[in-house]
Amino acid sequence: MAEIIVQHRYAAPCERVFDAWLDPKLAAKFAFATPDGEMVTAEIDGRVGGRFRFVDRRPDVGDVAHVGAYEVIERPRRLVFTFAVPKYDPGYTRVTIELAPVGGGCELTLTHEGVAEPWLESTPKGWEMILAGLERAL
Amino acid sequence: MLDETLAALADPTRRALLAQLADGEARITDLARPHAISLNSVSKHIRVLERARLVRRRVSGREHFLSLDPTPLDAAAAWLQETRALWTWRLARLAEVLEDG
Repeated sequence: MAEIIVQHRYAAPCERVFDAWLDPKLAAKFAFATPDGEMVTAEIDGRVGGRFRFVDRRPDVGDVAHVGAYEVIERPRRLVFTFAVPKYDPGYTRVTIELAPVGGGCELTLTHEGVAEPWLESTPKGWEMILAGLERAL
Repeated sequence: MLDETLAALADPTRRALLAQLADGEARITDLARPHAISLNSVSKHIRVLERARLVRRRVSGREHFLSLDPTPLDAAAAWLQETRALWTWRLARLAEVLEDG
């Protein structure tokens, strides 16, 4: 099973970085966002076993729901949730977010494991858009 | 397909077999020679690689020739790269969100 690891360092303390993931208003802006999408639904039941649902409206493919459930909520160090995009694949993957204080800020390590294939074949256009958006954002 | 590709790659013997095939077509018996496992075990590993479409088999008389098909490797690499790019973008967005707040 593949595993993707991405890290980012924030000036903000880990408590704020952690809370952003469970705040629907803030999470809508980044957590399951895509560069050209518009988040039209952001629902979070921020408890262990609680579910979330984000719907990203994309110009080329329409509404894309992202759903999952929280498995571990250990503020401000660790957040684990399952994650699926049923439009492309009913299979769930798992995202682990680990936070470590660095100076006055916070280093975030995101691990996405258990990836599934249909994303690859169903959304090449979507990915092109994402990569183009990424270039603009950086 | 991606899951199959990655599962097929998650074994050192199978990765070694693919590396051997990167040099070109080979017979099963030649592929098995450097490995300290039975020909039967090597055949099982090769079947996993065939199911993942990483290896193709050509039969000529009694000889079975195997060759590498890198297409699934390219697809897996592309998926990983794209997913990593999306999370990288999202984590950078989080920095902006925190600054705005």
